[in-house]
Parts: sequence; structure tokens; C-alpha cells
Amino acid sequence: MEHPGLLYVAATLLPLASFLILLIWGGLRNFARRNKATSPALDGVYQILGGDAITRTPAYIATAAIAGAFVLCLTGFILHAQDEHTHGAQPAAHAHDHKHDHDAAHADGKWAAHFEWIRLGSRENDSRGALALDLGFKIDHLATIMFLMVTFIATLIHIFSIGYMSDELQEKVEDHHVHTAHGHLERRGRFGRFFMYLSLFCFSMLNLILADNLFQVFISWELVGICSYLLIGFYYERTSASNAANKAFITNRVGDAGFVVGLLIIWTYVGTFNFDEIFARLRSPLHDSHGAVPLGGAFVRANPGAAEPDGRILKLAVPKPGEEAGSEVVLFPVDATEGHFHGVGHGRKFLRSEVRLSPDLDLDGHGHIPYWLLTVAGLGIFLGCVGKSAQFPLQVWLPDAMEGPTPVSALIHAATMVAAGVYLVGRAFPMFTREALLVIAYTGAITLFVAATIAIVMTDIKKVLAYSTVSQLGYMMLALGVGGWAAGLFHLLTHAFFKALLFLGSGSVIYGCHHEQEMTKMGGLLKKMPITGLTMLAGVLAIAGTPLFTGWYSKDAILVAAYGFTSVHGEHMLLFLAPLVTAGITTFYMFRMWFLTFTGEPRDAHVYEHAHETPWLMTVPLILLAVCSIGVAWGWPVWDAEASAMEKHVHHAQHHAVYTEFGTIVDKDFHEGALPEESIRQAGQAGHTLVGLLALFSAGMGFLFAFAVYKLKTLDPAEAKEQFAGAHDFLAHKWYFDELYSAMLVRPALAVSGWCRDFDRVVIDGFANGFGRFWVWVSKWDGLFDNGVIDGLANLLATMAYGVAGWFRSLQTGFLRSYVLFLVLAAIGLFVLLKYLVSVAVAG
Amino acid sequence: MQPPAETDLLLMTVAIFLPTAFAILICLPLPIWRNKDWVRWTALWGTGLTMLVSFFIFIEYYQMAQGHSDGLRPGYGREAQLIPRMEAAAKRELTAQPRDSNDWVARVPWIPSFNIDYFVGIDGISMALVLLTTIITFISMIASWNIERYVRGYCALFLVLETGMIGTFLALDFFLFYIFWEVMLLPMYFLIGVWGGPRREYAAIKFFLYTLLGSVFILIAMLGFYFTNVRDVVPEQVVEEKAQRLVQTGRYTPDQARAEVKVNSFDILVLHKAGAVAADKIKAQEEVAQAGTEAERKAAEDKLGALQRRYNHTDDYFFTKTEFQYTMFVLLFIGFAIKVPVFPFHTWLPDAHVEAPTPISMILAGVLLKMGGYGILRIAYPICPWAAETLAWWVGLFGVINIVYGAFAAMAQTDFKKLVAYSSISHMGYVILGIAVWSSSNQGAYWSMGMNGALYQMLGHGVSSAGMFFLVGVIYDRAHHRDLNKFRGLNESMPVYGGISAIIFFAAMGLPGLCGFIGEVMVVLATWNFSWVFAILAALTVVLTAGYVLWTIQRVFLGTNDAYKDYPDITSRELLCAVPLVILSVALGILPSQLVLNWVEPSINYLVNMLARVNG
Repeated sequence: MEHPGLLYVAATLLPLASFLILLIWGGLRNFARRNKATSPALDGVYQILGGDAITRTPAYIATAAIAGAFVLCLTGFILHAQDEHTHGAQPAAHAHDHKHDHDAAHADGKWAAHFEWIRLGSRENDSRGALALDLGFKIDHLATIMFLMVTFIATLIHIFSIGYMSDELQEKVEDHHVHTAHGHLERRGRFGRFFMYLSLFCFSMLNLILADNLFQVFISWELVGICSYLLIGFYYERTSASNAANKAFITNRVGDAGFVVGLLIIWTYVGTFNFDEIFARLRSPLHDSHGAVPLGGAFVRANPGAAEPDGRILKLAVPKPGEEAGSEVVLFPVDATEGHFHGVGHGRKFLRSEVRLSPDLDLDGHGHIPYWLLTVAGLGIFLGCVGKSAQFPLQVWLPDAMEGPTPVSALIHAATMVAAGVYLVGRAFPMFTREALLVIAYTGAITLFVAATIAIVMTDIKKVLAYSTVSQLGYMMLALGVGGWAAGLFHLLTHAFFKALLFLGSGSVIYGCHHEQEMTKMGGLLKKMPITGLTMLAGVLAIAGTPLFTGWYSKDAILVAAYGFTSVHGEHMLLFLAPLVTAGITTFYMFRMWFLTFTGEPRDAHVYEHAHETPWLMTVPLILLAVCSIGVAWGWPVWDAEASAMEKHVHHAQHHAVYTEFGTIVDKDFHEGALPEESIRQAGQAGHTLVGLLALFSAGMGFLFAFAVYKLKTLDPAEAKEQFAGAHDFLAHKWYFDELYSAMLVRPALAVSGWCRDFDRVVIDGFANGFGRFWVWVSKWDGLFDNGVIDGLANLLATMAYGVAGWFRSLQTGFLRSYVLFLVLAAIGLFVLLKYLVSVAVAG
Repeated sequence: MQPPAETDLLLMTVAIFLPTAFAILICLPLPIWRNKDWVRWTALWGTGLTMLVSFFIFIEYYQMAQGHSDGLRPGYGREAQLIPRMEAAAKRELTAQPRDSNDWVARVPWIPSFNIDYFVGIDGISMALVLLTTIITFISMIASWNIERYVRGYCALFLVLETGMIGTFLALDFFLFYIFWEVMLLPMYFLIGVWGGPRREYAAIKFFLYTLLGSVFILIAMLGFYFTNVRDVVPEQVVEEKAQRLVQTGRYTPDQARAEVKVNSFDILVLHKAGAVAADKIKAQEEVAQAGTEAERKAAEDKLGALQRRYNHTDDYFFTKTEFQYTMFVLLFIGFAIKVPVFPFHTWLPDAHVEAPTPISMILAGVLLKMGGYGILRIAYPICPWAAETLAWWVGLFGVINIVYGAFAAMAQTDFKKLVAYSSISHMGYVILGIAVWSSSNQGAYWSMGMNGALYQMLGHGVSSAGMFFLVGVIYDRAHHRDLNKFRGLNESMPVYGGISAIIFFAAMGLPGLCGFIGEVMVVLATWNFSWVFAILAALTVVLTAGYVLWTIQRVFLGTNDAYKDYPDITSRELLCAVPLVILSVALGILPSQLVLNWVEPSINYLVNMLARVNG
């Protein structure tokens, strides 16, 4: 196939097509239904479009689209692997040069292509100097596997939703959460709309993975945000749902504001949004024409050097080894490695210690960006990720987002969209400075702990899962922050499977219990819903990190990465302890959830009586996901935590996505800016067995505790609640974040907006009205003006105006006089001013 | 021999005065006007035909502008540039060559004794806004169908208003521009004052006085420019001709006459050139004053000397005085800023919107506000470039205040229309900010991006704000109030309306894929290079915008409300207004280059290059 990359473009566009079909269909039908009485034609249209019946067709269209996308992605995955095989894997040492092989291979648009969406500038063949916003796609290992995961899970969730949303097929749906004057709200089912939103979401999410540049990611970012908004607010008659939807979107927008700041800095200093080009500009090439470059792959920091005669600083000087690192990061030409060129740095022949800068932003020349600003740019983009991935301190929206239908929680708020933040950190990894990465790591560490503690006390089954999602995303962020790129993204993939499973399982429970979500009313459901119970157990075991389940492989990798980092940087020990301890908490609250739901005595006879296993449309996706949660990460030998095939694939992706690896060639003592990645890796390897045992111990303790409390009942949770009432309150109020934000941000914003309104009304309008009253007073004298002072001119103008506008005079008497008067006065003022100007001119 | 008529002149004149012709027709005492529908249909035909004429002009202009490329991207030839076309046309006139019927600048002497011409012309900037005007006006006319009082008067004024708007965008003679500017003012006053809501008289007078104040500022500036001598920047033949006439009076020898000749002009393009010369001179003077070393001083003095030899008359009448530049720029800026409106001159807008009937609100937000932005782009900046550059930071500050203040104030409103009005103030702030980010670094690339973003924001906001006001009108027709706290649950009874509203409101919120996003993102991306503080403030405002838009949607459409359960959904006529706006919102959001930027950008780029003195 000549352009296999286009398979992915097609896969992205399929859900969009489905969305458009459903949108136009639904819109026309709604319009025709409301107006069919007015014209027979509309009635005819209405009947053609399906009439009153609410059918499953929208679901079939949407499911076919996403399933088709999955097939395309699978084909693309195989083709990509074959391509890799025939062309041979690039040796790691030439990772950077990969970009250029890549360019050669992609010049024909095989796996990547882009076009200019908005381009300014006059020259025809000059794509470097002019600023252009591109849209494009780039398929690499990471993208292929993300595509596969997203389309697979989305397809299963679509199928599950056909069953779960079947209530919406009725012409009259009763919403028990909404009370009106006539009892519960009754409304028409919205089956088609649900699948329309799902399709739009799938398009946006796939577009996010497809993008080869930050700007396109931002576009998709906003689009998935709005889909999430629409789906959280799907039951929009409920105030809680619309509040949650607003909260989700606005909290995300806070993150997006940071994202925009990051974009601004990159745009202004680096001059491009293309990932490859940004990385090529920011990081030194690994090799120049004379061999390996000492600073290859790292940020080259330098100081403003000797000034040119005209006063503009045009040179940057790289400090010698041992001196303090420079304040600026050198930007390299995008095509630095084309032709004969010399690297930048010290310590080898033919290296330049001074860089001449282009006076203007020029992607073909050198430039510079202050190091701190690059850190800020990274943190800005990370803030966007914090919002989307519900990390501390913007985690508040995700639990509320559980107001949406459960399949939505599974697809968007667990498996894919919230993972987009992690994905982007992974994608943009080479542009994060060391300080930014440390912030990322600590954010992850705080988040995973805080969320896990809250999950302990939640009683709503979906909220437990929501907090567990937040916590697991924290693990991924932590992994990325400590340099465990592969570990973080590996966990992203495995987590998607078992969290989708857990959410769908909870959906199945909720459906089976007739929309009861409180675990305090469940219990003993395993007998009633064995498939749901057992598949969920698989999910619980996976997330707990039970050996041989997927979660074990990825969590192990994260802990190893964290251990490696902290053993080199002892002062950051917390980054290892937090995830280790939280592994135990995770096991505890997950088993707590499972025991409370499926074992013991039924706590609410009514719920138990009516509980039933769900139809096959829902259980089949559960079983498939359970199988994946157990085995999707297996490799040979299965019992080796490091042998996971998926992890190998992700590791492989690392060479391609993050071709400028940290300091692989960097002399450790040579430059401060490079992380000694190699030593971290070695330390991690050395401690691998120990870390694995510690993690098992932690998880085991968590399990035993949960088993003792909720199965054997040796400890009474109610008693514990009373004893630690303060702590329980603190956790049950989610560490009081909502209250804090309300007091610190929301209320002040509303207060300021009230001030603005009053300022307009009182001060500005007060002034204007006073001015007007003054004018009215003046115009009492207008007769005097008309007759005496300059009556000739005024009368002439007035007569003309009266003549033209006489027709309106009956409508607005008296006003034209003022108008004329005003003009006359203005003319006088004009003469005065001109006179002044003339005098100024004469004097000057 | 000149051909009897130039087609471009003819077409532009038709576009301007066709609505007036229909207005006159409606004013004629004919029996058919007793039927209100006849009046409405006639007015609709008037606006519709004008729209078709503007489309035709667009096709012609587009073909002309895409003609040559000279190694540049299509559309970047001198055809996109007003001044070269004007100069070529002037040359033809002086050498008695036939006029070019297809250069889209046309001049007919109007009041020769004051050098006032009927001078109209088109470039990408005005073309885009003329298209916006005719389309929005046409849609507003459809939206005017439920006006029942004084239909004849309404339609006549409505059509005259359109003449004023199109004329303002096409005029290249300052006096003519001013006339059209005023022509648009009076009908608007009556349309608000007669057909408006309960406090219409207050709102109308407020609108009128504010705008009149702005007009007076513009008038003063215009006369100030007229009394300067611009003979250095007009063709030598014109000077020669004037000198001949002086000689004929018998009081001067030819040499004396040549020295004595003064050329006063209302020609906006001539004033652009004069402004550029003035800026060069002032800068050269500054360089001399600031020169550190002897060599620098010498170089600067040589430069100044060369300028003075070449343009030895622009010092007359204080054009090159910094005080004059400042005063004129401030006058013009305030004059246009009132229209935009810029804080603190903005409070007329919410009042006018609240009281104006729906279609007039649509025109007001969709088109009239853009005249302020256009004036800054076409008049204030190019005629006073030196002051504009010096004061750019202040202009940008006003833009940012607008963005932030408008968003905050919008959040506090309980009147649906007032909220939309304040959101307009916030969004127009991006226009000001985009224009303000003056920078000649990177060959003006960032500034050009800001300018393009500003123009795009004008178009995008024209579509989305007209849509929002229309949608508010739809619900006002049913509920007869606009109190946001009394709605709720409209999605249930009016799902199609709810869906359309969501798209339009999301467009205003700047959601990617819809028209509001492009302008905002271009402006903000251009801003960091100018001032990072402004950029961060503008970026943070997206949170507020999301806040008030979503809160509004929640208060109006979500939830349940028994009282409104039986409201009819959007009707066919209303759909006819809304659907084009939805389509435009989406199309402008997805195809910015193909639909607009490809032919607008060359003109803006030219303007930027001219102002920033960069040879692009």
C-alpha cells in the first residue's frame, strides 16, 4: 500500500461521518416533528426519517463506524510492523537520525503528511520563515498502539451502550432524579443523541492521537472537552448533571489556559508547532559530520556572548564544562544535520563554542529561548494535561463527571480522554526541562496519594472508580516525571483495559440494580450477577497489581522507574514511597468495593430482589475486557515481570517518539542539564527484585486489611468511622477542595464581575447621564443660540435637517434641535482646537 | 476617449445605492404599500439584490487579485494593494489614458472646490466586510418579518442604513467616508428609538450622543488633515497644474507659484502616504537627537537631509509635528473606539442592544461594531503610523481591558441580551489587541498574524454575535422577557433551537472548528511577541468566557420548566435565518484560508508591510 498512513486518517474520519449523519438526521427529524402539523411536506419528511419510533439504527451506524475504524487501525498496525520489519529497526544510537530517515521515508506521505491550514506570508516556496498552522498526521509506534487501544475499547463500549442505554429507546422515559409539579419528569428517549455524541468524541480523540503538531492536539483537546461536557450533561434535566458538566469544562479550561500559554511561548520562540521540528530545534543532534556530539540529545545551554558593533546580541557562548550552565537554550536549525555541519559544545574537535544567531525567527538558523521560559512553556502544557487528566490540583471535576451515563464514564472518564493528558506529556516529552519533569513527578505523587485516600471513604460505586482513575493517572504522571517514559505509557495502556472493564462492570451492576449506585444498598450480588461479579474481580485483581494480571507488569515498571530515580536522587525519596504505600491503599479500596458489592448479606432487600444479570450485549464486552485485563500484557515467560510483549512494544516506541533520549551519550559530569538516565536505569535494574517484593507486600497488606474488614468483619468499619470522625470527614469532603475553590476562585470571580457591572451602571453611566442632564440644561438656552449668536449658520443647517427629516418629526420632536445645536457647538470646539494646533505649529 | 462608464465604478455605486433606491421606492405614495407584506418583500428584494451585487463584485475582485503572482503566492501581486492601484489609476487619468474598468478603484470629482471626490475602492479588507454587511443585512431582513409597527418607515430606514454601512466600507475619500458614517447614524437612531423596547428613547439618545461624539472627533481629525499640505506625495503633474492656475491669476511668477502651491486632500490613500512620510521624518529627527557617536549622527543627519530634500513641504501645516500626530491619532482612535466599543466608552452598547429590536441588534453587533475596527485599520493606523506605533502599547492595553472587563461584566448580567452585548465587548477586544501588536521583527510576521486575526475575529464575531442576538430574539418572541433566571428547560420544548443555540454559543466561546476560534487564536498567538502580560491575560480569559457561556446555556436550556413546556420549536422562517449563520460559523471555522484568508491576507500583509516598513 502506498500511503498506509491514510488508513488512520480514514479511521479518524469514520466516526466524524457517523456524527454528521446522526446530527443532520436528528436535527431534521426534530424540526419536522415539531412543525409537521404546519405542512404535509414536513410530515412526509418526518415519516421518511423514521416517524415517532426510536430505533437502534443510530447505534448501529456509530458502532459500525468505530468498528470499521478498529479494523483499519488493526490493518495499519500490521502494515506498520511489516514496514518496520522490512526496513529494519533503527539502531538506538542513531535514534536522532531516525528523524531524517523518517523524513526520507515520509516525504512521500507514507506514514506522515501535513498541509498548511492557515498560512500567512507572501512567498510561494518558503515554508520556514513564514508562520503556518498545519494540520497533519504522523503515525509512529506510539500512535499505532494508542489507536488500536482506543478503537478497540470504544467499539466494546459502543456495543455495551446499546444494551445499557436501551431505556432511552422508549418514547416516554421517566427520570427519577428530576421532580416536577406532576411527579417525576417524563421525556422522550434520546438514544440517537447519545451515539451522536459518542461518535463526535471518538473522532476528537482519534484526531488527538493522529496529530503531528501541538496546535492540532489543542484543537482536539478542546473538542474532546466539549464532548465530555455534552455527555456528562446528557441527563441535562438534572441540575447535578448540568452543574457537573459545567464544572468539568470550566476546570478543563483552566488547564487549557495554561496550555495556551505553553503554545504561545513555543510559537513565539521556537516558531513551529510540529513535534519533530520542536524537538529538533530544542535538542542538540546526536552526531555531527565529525562524530558523536558530547551534548547530543540534551538541551545546550549558553550565555549571551559578545555583542556585535550594532549593539544587537547576535552570539551565544556555551560555558566550558564545570562552569555554571548558561541562561539560554540554544535552538538548532530544523535541518541541522543536512550537509556538512559542526556540533555545538566543548570537548572534541570541530565543535563550535559560540553560536551565531539569526536576527529573526528562522527555522533554518540558530535561535535561543531562555531556559526558565522553556520550563514555563513545559509547565503550561503540563497544566493542560493536569486539567484533562484530573491531576492535583484540578482533580475536582472527574468525580462529579460520574453524573454522565456509565459507558461514558468508562470510555471518556477512565480509558481514553483522561489518559490524553498522560499521552500528551509522553508525546511532548523531549521539550520538558528537568525542573518541569520534577514538577510532573511530584504532581503525580501527590495526586495518586490524595485520590486513593478519598477513594477509601466513597460509598458511590462509580465515585470509588473515579478516584481510583485519578490515582492511577497520578501513577502514570509520576512515571513520566521520573523519566520512566515507557512505564508511564505502558500503564496508560493496561489501565485503559481494566478501568474500562471496571466501569462497565459497575455499569452492569447499576443497570442490574435499576440505577442504584450506592454500595451501602448492595451486597451479595455475586449470586445474582455472576458474570459481572467475576469479570469485575478480574479487573480488581489487575488494578491491584496481582502477579500475572496486566496491572502487575505496568505498576512494577513504574515502581522500578521511581526506585531508580530516587536511588540516584535520594532527596526525592517521596517519589518512590508515595506510590509504594498507595499500592496498598489501592488494593484495599478496590477490594472494599468488590466485597461490599458482591459478597456478604444484601443490605437492601428491595434492590437485591430486583437485581438481575444483564443481557449479553453488556456481558460480552465485559468478558472480552476481562480477558484483555488478564492477558493483554503477557509475554514469554509469563511470570517474568519484564517480559511483557506490550511493554517491549512501548519501549520500542520510545526510540521513535522520544528520539532525543536523555543523556545517552552525555558525559555525566559534563553538563548539569542532562539527567543521568543510564545510571537511573541501572539502579532500577539492580533494585528490581526488591521493588517487586515490596510492591507485592504492600498490595498484600491492603488485601488482607480489606479482607479482614469487609469479608471476615473482624473490624467494624462503622466503629472505625466514629473513632476517626475527623479524618473521615476530611476525606469524605474530598480534602475540602471544592469548598476551597469556591471560596478562593469562584466567589471572587463572581464578586469581580458584580463590581464590573456596578461600575458600568454607577460610575460610567452615572457620568454619562449627568453629562446628559447638563446638556439638557444647556439646551434650554438653545433658543438664544438659534436667534442670537450664530443664527445664520444654525438656521440654515436646522432648516435643511428639518426638511430632510420632517417625516420623522411627528415621531421624535425636539431632538433634531439638540442635534443641530450639538453640531454647532462641535464646530466651535473644532475651531478652537485648530487654532490651538496652529499656534503650536507656529510656536514649534 | 474615456469609455462612458467604468464597470467597477458602476458596480460599487450600485452596491452602495441600490438599498437607497429601494428605500425611495418604499417611500413613494403607492397603494400597494398598504399591504405590509409587499413592503417587506420589496425590502427583502432590495437587500437580496444588494447581496448578489456584492457577490458579483467579490468574484470580479477575486479574479483580478488572483491574476498575477510574480513568483509570489497567488493574490500577492499589486492587485491586492490599494495604493499602487490608486497610483496607476491616477497616472492614467493624468496621461488621459482610458480608465481601467477592472482595477476596483474609481474616482469621480464631486465637490472640486474642496477637492472632494466620490472615490471608492476595494481591497481584501473592505471586500470581506462588505460581504459580511450584505449577508448579515439580508438575514436581518428575514428576521424583521415580525415587525408590525410602521413597517414602511422601518424598511426604508433599514435600507438607508445598509447604504451607510456599505458606503463606509467602500469610501476612500475621507469626506465621503464621513458622510456615510453619519448616514448610518440617523437611521440607527430612529430604528432603536421608534421600534425599540420600553427604554428605547434613553437608549437611542445615548447611542446617538456617544456616536456623535465620536463623529465629531473624527470630523476634527479629518479637517485637521485637510488643512495640511500634502503636495509632496501627489503626482508632480497635479502640483504643476495648480501652479499654472496660480500663474494665471497674475499674481505669481511660475517659480513663486510652484513654491506657493498647496495641495489639500481628503483622499485617504494620499493621507496614508503623507502619514508614512511624516513617520519617516519624525523617526529621522529622533535618530539625530539620540545619536551617540559622531558617525551615527552624521548618518542620521544625512538620512534626515535626504528626506527633507525629497519631501520639503510636509513640514508645512505641522504634519510632522509629534503633537499633531498624537492629537490626530487620539482623536481618530477615540472616534472609532466609541464604535467598537472600547472601555470606557462602551456603556451605550448594552443599552442600545437591550432596547433595539432583534434584527437591529443583529446589524448593530454584526456590522456596526466592525466599522470601528475598520476605521482603526483603514484610517487611524495608516494615516498616523508614527503615533500608532508609539501608542501601540496603550491601544493593546485597551484591547486587553475590553477582553477581560467585558467577560467579567457579562458574567454578572441577568438580562440575556445584555449578556450577549457584553460578550461582544469582550470579543471586540481581540480585534483591538490584534491590531495593536505592532512589531516589525520577523518581517512583521507576528503583527501580520495579529492583524489577520483581528479581521477574522471581526468576521467571526459578525456571524456569531448576529446569531446570538437572533436566538435571543426567538426566545423573546415566545417568553416576552429576557431574564436569565426565569428561563430553564427550553431544550425540552425546543430541541432544534437548543441545538442551533449550542453551536452558535460554542462558536462565540471559541471552540475549535467554529468561527470564533480562528480569530482569537491568531490574535493571542501573535500577542506574546508584543507583550507577554497581554497574552497571558487574553489566554486566561478563555476560562471566564467558558464560564459565562456555559452558565447561560445551563440557565436557559437545561433543567426543566413546566411553564415553557408547550413552546413551539423554531419555525421555518426562523430556521431560514439561523441555518445560514450556523453554516457560516462552521465553514469559517474549518476553512479559514480557503474562504477568507487567501484573498484577505495579501491586502493586510501589504498594510502591515507599509506600516512596519518591511519589504515583504
